[in-house]
Amino acid sequence: MLFSWDLLLAGFADALSWSNLLWALVGCLVGTLIGVLPGIGPSAGIAILLPMTTMIPPTSGIIMMAAIYYGAMYGGSTTAIVVNIPGEASSVPTAIDGYEMAKQGRAGAALGISAISSFVAGTLGLVGLTFFAPLLANVALAFGPPEYFALMFMGLSLVISLSGRALLKGMIATSIGLLASLIGQNPLTGASRLTFGVVDLMAGVSFISVIIGLFAVSEVMINAERAAAHIYGTKIHGWMPTWAEIRRCAGAMVRSSGIGFFLGLLPGCAPAVTTFIAYDVEKRVSKTPERFGKGAIEGVAAPEGANNATSSGGFVPLFAFGLPTGPALAVLLGGLMMYGLQPGPMLFQTNPKFVWAVIASMYIGNVILLILNLPLVGFWARIALIPFPVLGPLIILCSVIGAYSIRFMLFDVWVALLFGGIGYLMRKLRFPIAPLVLASVLAQMLETSLQQSLLISQGSWLIFLNRPIAGFFMALAFLSIGRGIWLQLRSHAPEIAIDDADE
Amino acid sequence: MRSQRKGDIVAGGVIALLGAVVILAASQIRGDVEERLPPRTLPYVVGFLTLAGGLALAVKSYRYRGEDPRVDWPDSAGWVRIGVHLLLLALFAALMDPLGMPIATALYVAVAIGYMDRKRVAAALLTGAVSALVVYFLFIKLLGLTFPLGPLAR
Repeated sequence: MLFSWDLLLAGFADALSWSNLLWALVGCLVGTLIGVLPGIGPSAGIAILLPMTTMIPPTSGIIMMAAIYYGAMYGGSTTAIVVNIPGEASSVPTAIDGYEMAKQGRAGAALGISAISSFVAGTLGLVGLTFFAPLLANVALAFGPPEYFALMFMGLSLVISLSGRALLKGMIATSIGLLASLIGQNPLTGASRLTFGVVDLMAGVSFISVIIGLFAVSEVMINAERAAAHIYGTKIHGWMPTWAEIRRCAGAMVRSSGIGFFLGLLPGCAPAVTTFIAYDVEKRVSKTPERFGKGAIEGVAAPEGANNATSSGGFVPLFAFGLPTGPALAVLLGGLMMYGLQPGPMLFQTNPKFVWAVIASMYIGNVILLILNLPLVGFWARIALIPFPVLGPLIILCSVIGAYSIRFMLFDVWVALLFGGIGYLMRKLRFPIAPLVLASVLAQMLETSLQQSLLISQGSWLIFLNRPIAGFFMALAFLSIGRGIWLQLRSHAPEIAIDDADE
Repeated sequence: MRSQRKGDIVAGGVIALLGAVVILAASQIRGDVEERLPPRTLPYVVGFLTLAGGLALAVKSYRYRGEDPRVDWPDSAGWVRIGVHLLLLALFAALMDPLGMPIATALYVAVAIGYMDRKRVAAALLTGAVSALVVYFLFIKLLGLTFPLGPLAR
């Protein structure tokens, strides 16, 4: 029995301590800021801050990181609505009707409904997390190394096969991610490999600097080439949607919560994907679909609800299996590992206080975000107007500080710079980035579980097929790869990934 | 390189080359062959995957005969801006040790902002100075991160 009301209440007691409340508030503020600012997303934001949080206790640190992740989902809508520039890929559908509403002078109502819908769906998703995660963790207790290997293998292949029409490019991105993490010492034997005699490479390539480069540095490069300058805002007045509008959106909020949460359980279904699905579903069930795209308030409520429900849902496989479903959660997993916490079902048994404090803090964080967002929307919208020539160098400065403070090695800064260039080329040539990130974070766990499995089976690879759960995951993995290859062979389209910015 | 097809052929070739280098490097790894998972197995597997992926991409793009989307490369002014940004970032990293983090920060931020928006010299200098103060007092003094201090250490 891994769930009890006592544990949840104890979690709330922990989360409500002054220091944890403070870090949740900091996380919500930083998350909203990251969401508001185009050019930096949650993955990069968490990666940059992660090394700097090692001086605060693990619970507070992860509470803050989680708050940054779901806080960014709130913030991303602001610029999408006010200036038609989505701060994150997941806010793109919000901009469709949100910006239309803003042009009609109803930006306030759009921002209000997006905050309310985010709150409702985020909280419903948390209820799902509270009851689902321990249930799944119970199942996962039966997992051994072969099951873990198969699960992570399935996670990776799902992420690749969801890279749209770019299956080959997804596979290449995965192998580059694996390559980066193979450099350095073998985790079990300590033998050095692929170091080419370079001393700095002996310590290995930190996936945090890889992510900082891929997301933050390359984003600044993309903006620098356009000489992006100023973004002019519209005047906003009248913050609240009417009660009739809130009632009209109630169905959209509940539907998008369900869609976001359940799709959020799957690897590869990042908020950037589920928001589009939720928007589409809402348009289909609407009695007046012609209003969509012309300022329908449900068209704002649905994607905003879905992205928050997805971010809550993503914590289920993260806590229960230690499996991240997207780049931002992969970085969070890295954070857990940095604190020496082994994510997965044992987390609920060995560190119940920690897990439940983090889950409880998310309920509180959602309330904080609602309070922060409704009255402060005007403030956030003004922040988004910081001109890029000022913002760009500051993002780079944060990236350098983040990369350097991983291990206090200048080498990590150079790695971030190199992967900034790689990320830039990947975006230009339409390679998906998510598989690279996931592979570089999961590589070490994949390798360790592979080695342990082969020890158990005395070298036989059949262990991944003849154990029922492992076999099931392997079958799913091969099915998704096979389906991807089949789709590839049938289509004669060029390899182009769907837009895969920082989720 | 303006076309996606050509870009993919070149990218595939470079990636295949990377795979080949990894396979070559993996063959140099010494280790006990008796182990269940010899240390060179995974580098071999990933190297082959990279090589195969790169080749497949290059061949597929070479044989592709459909509509060819354009790659959205920057114009020459855009390349110059990116080049200057990367150069400034590299200089920042290189000067971090000799000048110390706060001074390197002030220089980098001021020069980078000033380069992008020449009308805002005062704002650039001010932002640079404030960034350096934040780095010094928040990150070094308060959070205790061990950044190089350069001449400030004396």
